[in-house]
Amino acid sequence: MTEEKKPEEKKKRKTATEAASKIGPMVKATIGGTVQAREEGKPIAYSFICCCYDEIIRAMDIVPVWTENYAGVCGAKRDAQRFLERAEAENFSRSLCTYALCGLGFDAWREELGEMPPEPPWGGQARPDMMLGSGQMLCDPRNKWYQAAQHYMPDIPVYDAGAPWPPYEDDYDYREVQDYYVKYIVEELKGLVKFLEKHTGRKMDWDRLSELVDLADRTWNLIWETYELRRAVPTPMGTGDAMNTMVPMVFMMGTQEAYDFYQELNDELKHKIANKEGVIPDEKYRLIWGGGLPSWFALSDFNYFNSKGAVFPVEVTYRMVEAIYHFDIDLSKITDPLEHIAWRWVKFWTYWYDKAKKRLGSHPDVERLIQYIEDYKIDGIVMHEAFSCRSWHVGLIWQLNLLKKVYKDIPSLILESDIVDISSYNEADTRARIDTFIDTLEAVKSQGR
Amino acid sequence: MSQYFAGIDLGSTMTKAVIMNQAVLASVIGPTGPEHRKLANRVMEEALTRAKLPFADITYVVATGYGRINVPFADKQITEISCHARGVSYLLPEVKTVIDIGGQDSKGIKLKDGRVVDFVMNDKCAAGTGRFLEVTAEGLGVKLDDMGKLALTAKNAVRISNTCTVFATQEVVSKLAEGMPLPDIIAGLHEAIAARVYSMVGRLKIEKEVALTGGGAKDIGLVKALETKLGYSVLVPPEPLLTGAIGAALLGKDIVKEAEKKGETLPRSERRLTEATFFT
Repeated sequence: MTEEKKPEEKKKRKTATEAASKIGPMVKATIGGTVQAREEGKPIAYSFICCCYDEIIRAMDIVPVWTENYAGVCGAKRDAQRFLERAEAENFSRSLCTYALCGLGFDAWREELGEMPPEPPWGGQARPDMMLGSGQMLCDPRNKWYQAAQHYMPDIPVYDAGAPWPPYEDDYDYREVQDYYVKYIVEELKGLVKFLEKHTGRKMDWDRLSELVDLADRTWNLIWETYELRRAVPTPMGTGDAMNTMVPMVFMMGTQEAYDFYQELNDELKHKIANKEGVIPDEKYRLIWGGGLPSWFALSDFNYFNSKGAVFPVEVTYRMVEAIYHFDIDLSKITDPLEHIAWRWVKFWTYWYDKAKKRLGSHPDVERLIQYIEDYKIDGIVMHEAFSCRSWHVGLIWQLNLLKKVYKDIPSLILESDIVDISSYNEADTRARIDTFIDTLEAVKSQGR
Repeated sequence: MSQYFAGIDLGSTMTKAVIMNQAVLASVIGPTGPEHRKLANRVMEEALTRAKLPFADITYVVATGYGRINVPFADKQITEISCHARGVSYLLPEVKTVIDIGGQDSKGIKLKDGRVVDFVMNDKCAAGTGRFLEVTAEGLGVKLDDMGKLALTAKNAVRISNTCTVFATQEVVSKLAEGMPLPDIIAGLHEAIAARVYSMVGRLKIEKEVALTGGGAKDIGLVKALETKLGYSVLVPPEPLLTGAIGAALLGKDIVKEAEKKGETLPRSERRLTEATFFT
């Protein structure tokens, strides 16, 4: 019986920063808080990260249940298999997004029992009052997952807030069409506010929303400045920690708690830099996590890299902000909060377009990699192909090949596994690949390439 | 006094050992069993017997291959990619790309001045590895060693559509039942494996000369199928199973020479060829 299966034992990962070590308890408290909110009758919404509605739900005191996060927690605790198997038994294909499968398996089980499945990780995923999807290019589960979840919760309404951005083409300027995108997103967000007002019986406090939008802007700038501190040699924080410190960025945006967290991290990194305190004492190779979500059950692989003298001062994954003051428009002049959110969204996703157009045959994602490689003095690139995340991982090899074509032949490593499904992972093989990659880095360094 | 270097490559299917000084003095190839540590000991003893040397005369031992951590008498463990690269560069200095088809994985290695600059590996799926041929040969009732020669007599290679080893075995058995000639089926299997390997190695920019190593290189049908895919001939070392072990011995020699140059003393393992098991 799948219900009987217990998670594998897993050791706690060693973090380099105090800030990162606080994230686990913080997430646990947040998840526990959603279960308590349910008991207290507070409105709860299933939510996705990176859907530009953070400040809206915060302004209306709606409690978000970040379903991707919960699946990641199940994966990190090596307790996702029973939920994946449950979804498979419901006829969902194993090749679908394993975040979605884990969530759907959990929902199906919880709805069948009328209570949480046995021993749910960190208290379980609370039943929502509404589900907030999003139609956008980041991934397809954003508008299909919650529709599928309605099979088990037909009484729970879904709203899909479309948030597209202009696609990259090298023969036109996206600014020709950006106004249409902003207008569309604003209409979608207005619809979202109406939906939330209808289902909560609350009215949007527009002044409060404006305050939270301003707070989010300041948080974006602070995160960008804090992460840029990692350029230091030795780097004070690696990607392993960044996979923790992303939590306030993507799950708590628009809260004072998130801002304070990054202020604290900023102070900690400055202190470490002043004391020349790196992730490891003798940094030999500086790597970029060039794409792909991590295997949440195998974050200790970052420690394994560290044990070989390798650090990750930078990553593209979960670096979901740019400095607002680098945008080509002055967002402070856009006082309507929904319009402000929409412009910030479009400017974030188009940020690297101009740079890509300046290099023949390049692409925004590749330009971002090149910029980071240069800024952070990077020796090699590591990517992770998570088999179940099709939309975000499918172009990684292409990006890598293009990078080598338009820029330089940098050593690279492709890891293959999944975000949640531990059956896709083999520690011995993964570490053999890492060992070989380290040999390659050493060989390239000794050749002075 | 002469210095002797030993390289031992514990692969998933075969274990190889060489003893070298200026050239290869002795080599041994034997099947890998479940007891790696016991086997490493025996293979090394056999290699020493052939070289007419006591173990005490070996200056440095390097172990490689997927079982490299199970060689208790090795002074150092080095990844198989680095060892293959060194071994191939020694045997065929003109080579820039190595394709290694082993028992349970396959690899592509890009070389520059004898050192690895990039690599790819398939260790997730038996398709594209020697295991694919081993399993399908069994399904066809053909000896693995005969597959290559039989494929050369094929008239029209049969298309094998299943990439999964288990389902491909069922497919070839059903094609045999349909009356398709055995050589054509085997040639189809070679084409299938060559296609898998070619697409994987294609992630690297394949540059001539290309060397083929590992057990796959001993199958002439597979060599021809891969050459057809590449559009040109590949180079095969005289004993393609030994490149990793030779590379290990040579890297050991490099390490010793480097240490001597710097006047350093190298950390060494306990130099006893005693038997060890998983249960000690």
